[in-house]
Amino acid sequence: MFRSNYRVNRTTQFRVLSDDQIEDIHLAVLEVLERTGIKVHSEEALAVYKKAGAKLNGDRVRIPSYLVEEAVRRAPHRVALCNRDGSRTVLLEDNKIYYGTGSDCPSIRDSFTGELRRFLKKDIEDAARISDFLPNIDFHMSLGLMSDVPTETYFRHQYVAMLRNCTKPIVFTSADKVCLADIIEIASANAGGLDELQKNPTLCLYAEPSSPLNHSKNAIEKLLLAAEKRIPVIYTPCPIAGATAPMTLAGALVISVADSLSGLVAAQFHAPGAPFIMGGVLSTMDMASTIYTYGSPEFSLLEAALTDLSHFYKLPMFSTAGCSDSKIFDEQAAAESMMSILASALSGANLIHDVGYLENGLIGSYEMLVASDEFIAMAKHFVKGVEVNQETLAVDIIDKVGPGGNFVSETHTDRHFREVEWFPKLMDRQNLSNWELSGSKTMRQRVNERVREILSTHQVEPLRDETERTIERIFKKYGEKI
Amino acid sequence: MVTFWNLTEAVMNGNEARVREIVSEALKNKVPVKDILNDGLIGAMNIVGVKFKNCELFIPEVLKAARAMKAGIEVIRPLFEKSGVQPLGKVVIGTVKGDLHDIGKNLVVLMVEGSGFEVVDLGVDVPPEKFVEGVKKNGASICMMSALLTTTMPAMRETIDALKKAGLGGKVKTMVGGAPVTQKFAEDIGADGYGSNAAAAVDVAKTLITD
Repeated sequence: MFRSNYRVNRTTQFRVLSDDQIEDIHLAVLEVLERTGIKVHSEEALAVYKKAGAKLNGDRVRIPSYLVEEAVRRAPHRVALCNRDGSRTVLLEDNKIYYGTGSDCPSIRDSFTGELRRFLKKDIEDAARISDFLPNIDFHMSLGLMSDVPTETYFRHQYVAMLRNCTKPIVFTSADKVCLADIIEIASANAGGLDELQKNPTLCLYAEPSSPLNHSKNAIEKLLLAAEKRIPVIYTPCPIAGATAPMTLAGALVISVADSLSGLVAAQFHAPGAPFIMGGVLSTMDMASTIYTYGSPEFSLLEAALTDLSHFYKLPMFSTAGCSDSKIFDEQAAAESMMSILASALSGANLIHDVGYLENGLIGSYEMLVASDEFIAMAKHFVKGVEVNQETLAVDIIDKVGPGGNFVSETHTDRHFREVEWFPKLMDRQNLSNWELSGSKTMRQRVNERVREILSTHQVEPLRDETERTIERIFKKYGEKI
Repeated sequence: MVTFWNLTEAVMNGNEARVREIVSEALKNKVPVKDILNDGLIGAMNIVGVKFKNCELFIPEVLKAARAMKAGIEVIRPLFEKSGVQPLGKVVIGTVKGDLHDIGKNLVVLMVEGSGFEVVDLGVDVPPEKFVEGVKKNGASICMMSALLTTTMPAMRETIDALKKAGLGGKVKTMVGGAPVTQKFAEDIGADGYGSNAAAAVDVAKTLITD
């Protein structure tokens, strides 16, 4: 059978914004950066903007539209992130989706005692091992903020704890550019040199401008150093619609893009071609409770719309999902997690973080993380779409089985059931008597058991001696033994 | 004859012009300044506070009401001294050292002012010494500290210690608040009160000054 002009939806198709709407938002961003401009609290960065051709007035920088568009043109369309051994596993491009945890929650709900307590170093190591194990988690962020290590060297401790216990790409945070330099040195030692690290980056920095239109000294100087060293950097804001961005969704998108792209200008004129990731956490201030919501439908909607914009700019997108405003892993947490995970999968965001977040980022939860790993698998299976061809239309099989027949024992069924069906590991499909016989367990109980199982069995290969020696040397600089 | 429910309605609707009108009318009718302030304006904000807690009113509406209430206060402020009107208490507030976040703090300022306190806002990135100076200079009965970053929370303990060291320990009550701050943290650092949000801060402040 021969045909022409045949089009196929290879996956589900999802868009929030039309091309014209995207163009309007883009024009508004250009206008904002040209008319209102940004505030930059760094002499080093101000010099970069000046040299590029922006208009300065003290610490106020107004960026002509052509600079923004040139910066977007210079930025690479794709960023590859690698496992600890250098294999390129996370390709941030187009609509490829990857999920990971979030960073720096102050508290954890202990999986063994149920107690709500501060994160400890041991927990950060455990969280890394869980991420390392989970099949649908592709990269790792610390999940928690350790309360039992020295403050001065905190972020170095955090990076090392993650590096030792997770072989997947690590997205990390850093206090300032001095700290960043140390972490790059450790990563370079692991890779076999800065050159090797640049070719196959195992890490990605997370830095954040302060919406609206405000770049702190630390944030922008970390961005410039990362750009210089060609370490991939996520430079994204957390605009709060109704508080640090306009209440209206389009206005919040304008601030989001403006904050990222104004940083992009500095990065691309300082180090052309530096790997850069846009996006962010974009949500509303709940006007009843005053919190920044991580579970609302408008949060998922904003992330999806921002993702459409990232496709327009052809920049990798840092999105947010798998999180909740609930204080405990319960029905609310599961519902909110599933919604944002599905939305992000449909929208085709690239580096989707905060899986495992509870209480809008104040509590980190292994149960939420492990359960969400399953939700991610469900979402991916949905987005896979429907394949229509001779084999799948099965007209001949239908004829063979005939009216009133059944397909269960057909070879066709045997041939295809594994790719059509998704089999849960945590969701229960037994009939009632079997479920009762196995203990009438709730999802929460099953998830908790799984968490304990992973924690007690999964091990990660230790780092090479060379890397450990570098770590030792770095901490010795600050008078610490690690 | 002024009916305070008129004033309450005007405040709740955020109608500044109407509030000024009603207050001026009340003054013309020789209604005591104290009553206009306490029963009229503060009374209206108290109702706003209750409605906010019950999710009948939302933040933007509370802010509108606070602005309208403030407009009413400006009309009678020149008469405070003559009428012997005193604020409920004086509050010094700021975001602690190293922290630039102020949206939550600004909400607290509006709601605490709206409940009858006089508030001196020290702004953001306020070091312990500046809090001490602010409390001394203004004779504050409450010192409120706000932080959004876990890395700046330790500055709250430093400020409380600095206040004690300056001999203000028994004279000023301390309160802390902000997204990562908890009741437990407040107790650990020896603060007298914790505000889980702007409305709660008002309630806690009121109990602290009657102690």
